Amino acid sequence: MNYRDLFSGIAFLIIGVSTVWMGKGFFADAAYVPIGVGTLMGAFSLPLIWRGMKSVLAVRTTTDAAASSHMTTQPAPALVDHPGRFSVTLGCSLVYYATLPIVGFYTTSALFITLLAVLLGERRPAVIAGITLGFITLLYALFAVVLKRPLPVEFFLAS
Amino acid sequence: MFESLLNALPVALQFGSLISLFVGTLIGILIGALPGLNPVMAIALMLPLTYGFDPIIALGLVAGIYNGSMYGGAIPAILLNIPGTPAAIATTFDGYPMTRKGEGGLALKTACWSSAIGGIVSALALMTLAPMLAKVTLAFGPAEYFWVAVFGLVSIAVLVGKDVSKGMLSALLGVIIGLVGIDTISGEERFTFDSLYLSGGFELLIVLIGLYAVPPVLEMAEKRNESYFDSDSFRAKPSGGSLGLLRRHWRTWSRSSLIGVAVGILPGAGGNLAALLSYNEAKRKAPDPESFGSGNPVGVAAAESGNSADNAAAMIPSLTLGIPGNLVAALVLGALMIHGLQPGPQLFTRSPDVVFGFMWQMLLTAMLLLLLGGMVATRLFAQVLRMPSALLVPTTLVLMAVGVYTVNGNVTDLYVMLAFGLAGYLLNRLGFPLAPVVLGVLLGPMAEQNFRLTMLIAQNDWTVLFSRPISLGIIALLAVVLLSQLWKALRQRRQSQYQGS
Repeated sequence: MNYRDLFSGIAFLIIGVSTVWMGKGFFADAAYVPIGVGTLMGAFSLPLIWRGMKSVLAVRTTTDAAASSHMTTQPAPALVDHPGRFSVTLGCSLVYYATLPIVGFYTTSALFITLLAVLLGERRPAVIAGITLGFITLLYALFAVVLKRPLPVEFFLAS
Repeated sequence: MFESLLNALPVALQFGSLISLFVGTLIGILIGALPGLNPVMAIALMLPLTYGFDPIIALGLVAGIYNGSMYGGAIPAILLNIPGTPAAIATTFDGYPMTRKGEGGLALKTACWSSAIGGIVSALALMTLAPMLAKVTLAFGPAEYFWVAVFGLVSIAVLVGKDVSKGMLSALLGVIIGLVGIDTISGEERFTFDSLYLSGGFELLIVLIGLYAVPPVLEMAEKRNESYFDSDSFRAKPSGGSLGLLRRHWRTWSRSSLIGVAVGILPGAGGNLAALLSYNEAKRKAPDPESFGSGNPVGVAAAESGNSADNAAAMIPSLTLGIPGNLVAALVLGALMIHGLQPGPQLFTRSPDVVFGFMWQMLLTAMLLLLLGGMVATRLFAQVLRMPSALLVPTTLVLMAVGVYTVNGNVTDLYVMLAFGLAGYLLNRLGFPLAPVVLGVLLGPMAEQNFRLTMLIAQNDWTVLFSRPISLGIIALLAVVLLSQLWKALRQRRQSQYQGS
């Protein structure tokens, strides 16, 4: 967590400084808040950077001491617990959003639910089919029939 | 006035009015429970359908949708960490952790009772205090609104989470996100990078769903395919039943309802601010503030009674002065005008049956929540928790997509939601609280607009911010919050030094 505090502090400092820098170019009173907020962000990021640096140095000292006495130190918990599942979910979502306007809302959503459920480990075809059909029917009834909200049209219905 | 109020009761209890209350509350719960749909949209869609109805039936529908949606917003907030309405942000803080702990049923029941109590108190305030309190709000100028926004922003940044600097950085990040787009006063584009999409600024609901709903779904996806929640979630019932609930939360309900009513009277403040201020206050007063955020039912009770207590109170300035306090209040005024009634002080003398009947309807729908909320929420919506996570993840993502898409009918919003989701996931993992970010997006523009208006009126004289008595009162409250945190930090440091030695 030590490097994380340090790096997030630096990231916030950069955002703060950039906000002030860009804010200075705004017209008169439109610049007040961006400059003020950027300055405050820079100011609040400093204690975080300071604390991060202090703890990094402290951990390094502890690690050196542990290495000299052949002891093991606890690693920081991973930022992403399961990178595989995480990327599959993100990737499928991006493909879903990209195909939504082309294929149509209900078809893409049904395919998305089925595919992602299988990729995440669901192996019961009846459960997947039942829940997908039930859910899509419910969405159709609500958004198309009751509320009449316009959603991307199905490719087979588009003229 | 009291006589007019009593005379209007039979009008509100007419068969047609009761049916409209019942239907409106059901629609409201459903609308509130679906992220992306909000009471404003539902009422706006319903109003044209009520042209041919009696005004009291049209207003009954409005009252039902309004009160129902405030509770409905708590359902996905508790079950999926998705605030169904912006006012349900604070409900996610403890509602969702309660579900993760296997106390989803208890959280829903607490939310239902809290919403009902908040709504009842608010309706009673509307009935009794309307004309008197409306006069006080006239004293609120832009300087006071600026301080109200600063108070909400700073207090949540300081009180949520363990690290004050991380809380403040989150809040400031939210303010910067809120600055993106065309400046409403000068018309200048800020932080848009010449993008047409960014010139419109970020839609609050998209930021909200991205920051709040995407991270838990990603976490859910990372787990193996199993039920994400404890299967006994709905067996958790309050000890001592509803009476036990009443005994445990009456203090929180009273305090939060009063906060909600006070915030509701201020035009433009909204249920989200009421919920967050109530939550902060409950946390500040609690003997175990560290348990807030990890599934404390008091947090749910405070947030829900706070946001529901805002509802009827927000009608006070609109009915008495003709100044709508929020969008729903503006639609109520629209509904009155559609039916040939002119809002303002004369409304009370010219059409007492309608105006006082509407007040009774707000009270009756708040009571109906106990019946319909419990039945619909815990027995129908809660079934979602029994789904395995491999199916809950894609269905939740589709629900979010449809919710976000219906806001503007723009696919880019979906990518933006995902980007905010990734940012929320990272911030969460790095220990930055997300609530101040959302509050920054929400209150940042309010603070800025009122600050600039104050400067404009006072011709850049800064002292005007510190010279009015109401402003000084809010500043004093802000100082109390900051000093209490400072005192707490000093006490903790002293204790750790004592333990170390």
